[in-house]
Amino acid sequence: MLTMGLDIGSTACKSIILRDGEQILARSVVPLGTGTVGPRKAFGEALDLAGVARSEIDRILLTGYGRFSFDDADGQMSEVSCHARGIYFLLPSVRTVVDIGGQDVKALRLSEKGALENFVMNDKCAAGTGRFLGVMAGVMNVKTEDLGALSEGATEEVSISNTCTVFAESEVISRLSAGVRLADLTAGIHASVAKRVASLVFRGGVVRDVALSGGVALNRGVVRALARELKIDVLVHPDCQMAGAIGAALFARQQL
Amino acid sequence: MAGNSAGETPGAPAQKPKAPLPKSRALVNEQTAGVYARAWEAHERGEPVGWSTAIFPQELCETFDVPVLYPENNAAAISARHMGEPFIQHAEGEMKYPINICSYARLNMGMADKMRKAESIQTQGIDPAMAPPAFLCLANNSCTQLMKWYENLSRNLNIPVFFVDCLFNYSEEEPAAHKIAYVRGQIENCIRQMEEFFGKKFDWDRFLEVQRISQTNRVLFNEIVALNARKPAPMNGFDLFNYMAPLVICRGKESTTVILTELKKETEAHIAAGTSTFRGEEKHRVHWEGIACWPNLGHNLKTLGGYGVNAVMNGYVTAWDVAYEPGDLDGMARAYQVSSTNSLTTPGIMKKRIASIDRFGCDGMLCHVNRSCKLMTFHIMVGREMIEEEAKVPVANFDGDQSDTRVFSEAQFETRLQGLVEIMSGNRNKNGNKEARHA
Amino acid sequence: MPDAMPELEEMLFELGEVASHPRRMLRQYLAAGKKVVGCMPVYTPEELAHAGGMTPMGLWGGQVTPSLAGKYNPVFTCSIMRSCLEYGMSGVYDGLGCVMMPMLCDTFRGMSAGWRAGVKAIPLVPFIHPQNRTDPGAPAFLTEEYRVVRALLEKHMHCEITDEALEKSIEVYNAHSAAMRSFASAANEHLDVITPAIRHHVFKSALFMPKEEHAARVLAIVRELRKRPTHVWKGKKVILTGITAEPEALLNVLAENGVAVTGDDLAQESRQYRTPIPEGGSPMERLPMERLARQWFDRRGCSMAHETRAARGRMLTDMAKETGADGIVVCLMRFCDVEEYDYPMIAAEAEKAGLHCLCLDIDQSTRDNGQSRTKIQSFVEMGM
Repeated sequence: MLTMGLDIGSTACKSIILRDGEQILARSVVPLGTGTVGPRKAFGEALDLAGVARSEIDRILLTGYGRFSFDDADGQMSEVSCHARGIYFLLPSVRTVVDIGGQDVKALRLSEKGALENFVMNDKCAAGTGRFLGVMAGVMNVKTEDLGALSEGATEEVSISNTCTVFAESEVISRLSAGVRLADLTAGIHASVAKRVASLVFRGGVVRDVALSGGVALNRGVVRALARELKIDVLVHPDCQMAGAIGAALFARQQL
Repeated sequence: MAGNSAGETPGAPAQKPKAPLPKSRALVNEQTAGVYARAWEAHERGEPVGWSTAIFPQELCETFDVPVLYPENNAAAISARHMGEPFIQHAEGEMKYPINICSYARLNMGMADKMRKAESIQTQGIDPAMAPPAFLCLANNSCTQLMKWYENLSRNLNIPVFFVDCLFNYSEEEPAAHKIAYVRGQIENCIRQMEEFFGKKFDWDRFLEVQRISQTNRVLFNEIVALNARKPAPMNGFDLFNYMAPLVICRGKESTTVILTELKKETEAHIAAGTSTFRGEEKHRVHWEGIACWPNLGHNLKTLGGYGVNAVMNGYVTAWDVAYEPGDLDGMARAYQVSSTNSLTTPGIMKKRIASIDRFGCDGMLCHVNRSCKLMTFHIMVGREMIEEEAKVPVANFDGDQSDTRVFSEAQFETRLQGLVEIMSGNRNKNGNKEARHA
Repeated sequence: MPDAMPELEEMLFELGEVASHPRRMLRQYLAAGKKVVGCMPVYTPEELAHAGGMTPMGLWGGQVTPSLAGKYNPVFTCSIMRSCLEYGMSGVYDGLGCVMMPMLCDTFRGMSAGWRAGVKAIPLVPFIHPQNRTDPGAPAFLTEEYRVVRALLEKHMHCEITDEALEKSIEVYNAHSAAMRSFASAANEHLDVITPAIRHHVFKSALFMPKEEHAARVLAIVRELRKRPTHVWKGKKVILTGITAEPEALLNVLAENGVAVTGDDLAQESRQYRTPIPEGGSPMERLPMERLARQWFDRRGCSMAHETRAARGRMLTDMAKETGADGIVVCLMRFCDVEEYDYPMIAAEAEKAGLHCLCLDIDQSTRDNGQSRTKIQSFVEMGM
């Protein structure tokens, strides 16, 4: 039994093919979001990698911000449910999932059996989201994916106080022109994101274990900063970026 | 709203060589420390301590001789010392308060919750640390959010509220008779309820005396403020923010009379000697509108100073000018409805600001679009054209917040200030040297 | 029943048209020579205007991206007040004889200034509710305040408002409130027909129609509903709370996800109708102006009426239990501080009662419901 989960995010598309809801046959990440060729590409890549045809997939489920904008699927579910299910598959001890996406930040509470019990999401504001990191990376002229490594070299944290993206941008520019080290500035940006995210997580309540999912989880700097804010270890699975897609594939299996 | 009483210019980088603190400032610090200490002592004896909004009829608790602390004043002091963030985060996180409500409220409700959960804030180096309250005093003359804030405190801490509902004057310059009657009645009912709660009789003779002291203090403060109309001003206008504390937290006490008498003497001495607490040449005089950006007060001060701008006067410090005849309860009820300019119509406020701009010889107005204070911001938005048309001075707005450090942008502040300075300089060249005329 | 009796669906459609086209209604009233008074939300004593023979119309803004209002409104003004000022300044409200505005929050205090500066053609009748609602002097104050409102209405609208007429108007308004309550209860037996959007239409149309006409239509709808067999709703059920649950697309997201609304505490909807104007005990209290004022003191569980207990949270959880709802949806109007201060109490009471509490960010002007869609869908998927 083969199922596919396709997570169409605002900045990246992720697809996964599962055999019998247990074994990952193929995974694909395309750094292009909804409204681009990204979904189609992620879809095709996973099929190619698994060496199967569309007709051999028993059920395809969509999730993510762009889940209503792709025709070639059998259904859709919200990214909240899919992230919860996906993380439970990857890290069964987790009760609190923090997902930092391009647009949204979510804190999810799972039962011991992995069922979604509660969730909170950010206000409609870029503060604390992947988008915020992207803008700041742009200002510093570095790649978003390099931010984590860059902050490793920080010797101190340059505080970024604004949460408004536009103001924070000008704050970063003024720090840059004051000649601060890029690494220290990056650490400050990570701390700012972590603070914003932590207050959301506290709203939902913190229950061990805590995991970070979504693409931003690959940024070690944010993970460290968040762990510090939450005063608790934060787990990250190497497949964290795939959690939504895995969850969708698992729900697809369940629906068969 | 409330004055801050930090011992040194809050948030400012250390100045060298450091000027010794004027005697009046040392007295303010001593007074503030005494108020907090007395509250803790009472609390430890098991006696009630109150938390009060900044423009509640303080005459009542003063007469009952019951210690009262002022969360707005405390939030300002905590913010100026950059200690507010953990409380604001606690309110937004665990307590689930939305980020858009007043930051004083977030800070204080967060602190109250941590105190309730037996986290000793004293031992965390939080200074000044408030003793926990047994009752609340609420007057909504500054805004409606105060009422919601105190509702939440009352609910969260399960303690009573003594409420004097001070009505917004949406139309008239003078509150109508039925409004004064309602407020007066509430003051009388509050006294009765307090007699019951405190288990003490209200001493009407003492009340009259407290009223007299309160009047002496507010008159003294007005006289001091008026001295800053001199050119150049004897005070850096931001000093007024620091000297508000006695009026806010000890308006009915004789210790305030002592402090203000000393401050008046010091200010007159500056005038006589031709000196000022404003450093450098006073090139421009502006009227400040709105609460101070407490966490950024040092930055604001330094940036203003860098451009030779003295914010000689602001509309905020006059909010405690609660003027009435001692013994006239109707007059007192009326005064609590009009002293905060927030409770007047926009044209009503702007009329006062226009007169003040003229009296203090200001060349411009700098307005704090305070994320936490919707009401004042509304007045600024609507009043701007009135100021420009009638006071004929340029107006600049900047974004900030009284406690939340995430809103203010140093770059924006400087750009806006610089723009204002350029217009003021241009006007001066156009109009000839105003300076000479006023001197 | 005579043949002329319109079908249920037709009646619901008609109210939907009224709810969606207040401007058309305004033009109709003006064309018919009516004097129209604008009534800002909430708790504006419309009864006074009604008693003076005028047509009161609720002003609740609309889905517009404001451009003019920004001159007087800070960016952190709630979308209802922003759009009301925009409509005032851009002439959409032209024809209103005056506008009554209660000073219920800081935004209203600011709006009174913004309105006077930006909408000079439509006189403002501002007034204030006493918030110290347990103070013995508060009812007398509000009675006097309403007398001032009455005098201003008489002046601006050139009419007379007698005690006798007011007494009749009070009966009309009480009967209408009762009709709304019976609709809310009948609707719960027919959640297949009364979708969240249709339920909203029935409530919202009340703001733009004379109350006696609206009550007649609503009671006809209730009669038709009661004739039908009870429908058993299989999907999730929720209680809505907040100022409004608009834009309507949001309600459609609920429907698309199989969620029915079984009760509400929305300021635009049931919150207005759950408290009758009291009869009054003493002869003094039975005077119509007194009765009208005393209604304010009977209101419970409202963010705009001072209360220190958690009455609102408990009222919502009770409502959920009574109607078998699975959760409480807090439609949190962005920048509505009074509601924002109530949210933690609602969330805590919901948690205590074992109910889900879903918080949606409400902005009347937005066309993007993406995040709300995700939240609602996730709420439905919970437990799958």
